Amino acid sequence: MSEFLNIDDLSKTFEGQPILNGIHLSLESNTVLSILGKSGSGKTTLLKIIAGLEVADQGRISLEGKPVMTMKPQKRNIVYLYQEALLFPHLTIFENIAFGLRLQKKDQAEIEERVIQMLGTIGLDHMKYKSPNQLSGGEKQRVAFGRAIIVEPKLLLLDEPFGALDVETRHSMQQLFKDLAKQLSISALFVTHDLKEAIIMGDDIGKIENGNYKAYTSKKEFYEDAKSGVTDEIDFWSNLQRGEFSKL
Amino acid sequence: MRKHIGQSIVGFIILFPIVFLLILSFGKQWFYPHILPNIWQTSQWESLFSPSFQLTKSLGLSLLLSISVGLVSTVTAFYFSKKIAYSYNKTTWLSLAYVPYLLSPIIFAVLIHFYFLKTGLSGSLLGVIIAQFLICFPFGIIICSTFWTSQIQSLENLSFTLGGSTTQTLKRVLLPLAKSTLLLCFFQCFLISWFEYGLTHFIGAGKVKTLTVSVFAYVNEANPFLAALAGFLLILPSILLLLVNKRLIFKTSKKLADYE
Amino acid sequence: MFSIKQITPWKTALFILMLLPMLLGLGYGLLYSFGVIGLLNTGFTTEHWSDVLLNFSFWKSLLFSFGIGLISVGISLVIALWMVVNWHHDLRKGKLSTLIYLPLAFPATVVGFFIFQSFSKAGFWSRFLYQIGIISKIEDFPSLVNDAYGIGIILASSFIITPFLSLILKGIFENEHVTKFQQIAKSLGASQRQVLIKVTLPILLQKAKTSLLLFLIFVIGSYEIPLLLGRQNPKMITVAIVDKAQRFNLNDIPEAYAMAILYVLFLLFLFFGFQRLAKLKTKAYA
Repeated sequence: MSEFLNIDDLSKTFEGQPILNGIHLSLESNTVLSILGKSGSGKTTLLKIIAGLEVADQGRISLEGKPVMTMKPQKRNIVYLYQEALLFPHLTIFENIAFGLRLQKKDQAEIEERVIQMLGTIGLDHMKYKSPNQLSGGEKQRVAFGRAIIVEPKLLLLDEPFGALDVETRHSMQQLFKDLAKQLSISALFVTHDLKEAIIMGDDIGKIENGNYKAYTSKKEFYEDAKSGVTDEIDFWSNLQRGEFSKL
Repeated sequence: MRKHIGQSIVGFIILFPIVFLLILSFGKQWFYPHILPNIWQTSQWESLFSPSFQLTKSLGLSLLLSISVGLVSTVTAFYFSKKIAYSYNKTTWLSLAYVPYLLSPIIFAVLIHFYFLKTGLSGSLLGVIIAQFLICFPFGIIICSTFWTSQIQSLENLSFTLGGSTTQTLKRVLLPLAKSTLLLCFFQCFLISWFEYGLTHFIGAGKVKTLTVSVFAYVNEANPFLAALAGFLLILPSILLLLVNKRLIFKTSKKLADYE
Repeated sequence: MFSIKQITPWKTALFILMLLPMLLGLGYGLLYSFGVIGLLNTGFTTEHWSDVLLNFSFWKSLLFSFGIGLISVGISLVIALWMVVNWHHDLRKGKLSTLIYLPLAFPATVVGFFIFQSFSKAGFWSRFLYQIGIISKIEDFPSLVNDAYGIGIILASSFIITPFLSLILKGIFENEHVTKFQQIAKSLGASQRQVLIKVTLPILLQKAKTSLLLFLIFVIGSYEIPLLLGRQNPKMITVAIVDKAQRFNLNDIPEAYAMAILYVLFLLFLFFGFQRLAKLKTKAYA
């Protein structure tokens, strides 16, 4: 049990319906684990329980060897990001990013310095005093990242963070996140329903379906698993290439 | 042209009462068939500046009463509306919140008066504050409950995961975002209290002389001029409020109408 | 409704603040009206209830209030619909859009007083008609306040409700994109009249029905206006109850409680019955 994040036998039912059935999951530090899952698979519930926003019926979660199940979300140092950027509408971009530091009552000079640095990292220096409604979807999502990363969380939970973006923005955001993750040694769970995105974003990969989680030991195993959908995808494209599309 | 005439008539119907009250409030004698008062006076308005004048006292009392009811109701409604919004029985609680509105306040007063008598609250300002609060705050819940959208719940959760304590989240996220809702709720409760007569008169046993109670008192004394002055004072705050922000007044009926 | 497991401190507190006072009031009223408690209690008796239920004046008051409510809401509805359908542009911006908010600043007390001063026999309009020579003496002016038909009450209630209703209908008109539907109907060949009857009115009325019910209940429960503009017979139900409750004759108090309870039941039935009906109807369509 030397893993960074360990989830053991986690279960949850809601109004008699099982949402999660004994989930086992582990994550090494400084890695990103992609979790592939459709809506209704229990993925959001899983992330919310890890963040402390929902309570599990049973199971254990430990972060760096310490149990966190009974901890309040404020104390866990785990940030949960939604599909929506959820920028605070009453605060400027600067203040949105500074939010977590203000909560920690850091002094003004430090806040100023770190926020400006973060604005540079996410490439939004010029947006400092804008209000959230002046930003595009991709820009909003960048601010949401900056706001989360600046408090140096131990673990980031990303729930379809690019789900609402158009294809092009989505690609640039995936790249940005990969760079940031490497640069800042981020540990994260990245939940998505998009097969390609799951493969691109994760160092490791897993799949959640009907409240059951399956971890793949390697990406190779994932590709070869018929249920992952990768083989279907490959067949589709290679058939197309061979001009056998009509046969489908 | 027809439209123009129609709208002029509507404008007249709306503005006439205000002008009429204002004119009457300067009257001293109004014999039939004079259209306007045949003797005028300014002394009623002048005595408003004297603190011993009954109407001045009523004005102060009404302000104190309505501000207290508005504040207490808003704080309470905000707290409970959150609890309701996050609970499973949301719809049930919200439809129950309509009940005090459904029952006319005066009937509510008749039914609960006994308890106010027993506790010595009948005829006291505190008693009237409590009784009006019981009418206003369920109404406040209906107004505040629209604030707690899933978006707000997510923002609150986000603040938690970013390390915000409950107090910090309230201060830095929820209150700033709820500002307009809270303002609306306060003014609505203020106005319900400000406009209320039946319950105030019944629970206050005629001893708590608010502006509305004064209007009735002057009507019974057959003094239309003082009644008009008191009436004009009654519509003044809401007209001022309308000029500042008309939505603050209208939202109530809309909130009620949104109930489906 | 709630299982024991779910009872939490906030629910208890809310119950105490929101529901308990009324339940206690109803409980006390029930015991009092059955003669179990009260100054003149004689032990359990159904005498007061039968007095109320068999007394024509109670039913008359309730029916009178209901009728006044229906007429007032009806008049307001016609005026408000007419304004919204014909003037929705002017209600959105310009002078009218601000003016229409003004009556919302008038409390019932002031409206009652105003209607009295302008429509009574010695009121403004009587003087006006005298001055322009239409009537020659004060008695020629019709009885419009404290009258047998509740005309004053209807005038005052409609004056209060109409602007609210107009704003609600205007909101529906905009939110439901009625203009677009009107255009579609026109392009499908509907005449001006058909557009109104088959498109505009059904959309507006369908969405406004709960508001209309609430206004009806509001008029039935109004007190200040009938107090200023009504008369001894027929009496609006609220005034009738308060009169009994405040009478010096102690025998009247149990009857006041019985009437108040019946009134509460009537309104709850009206409101929740309507909700139930509306829901069933939607289900049937679904």
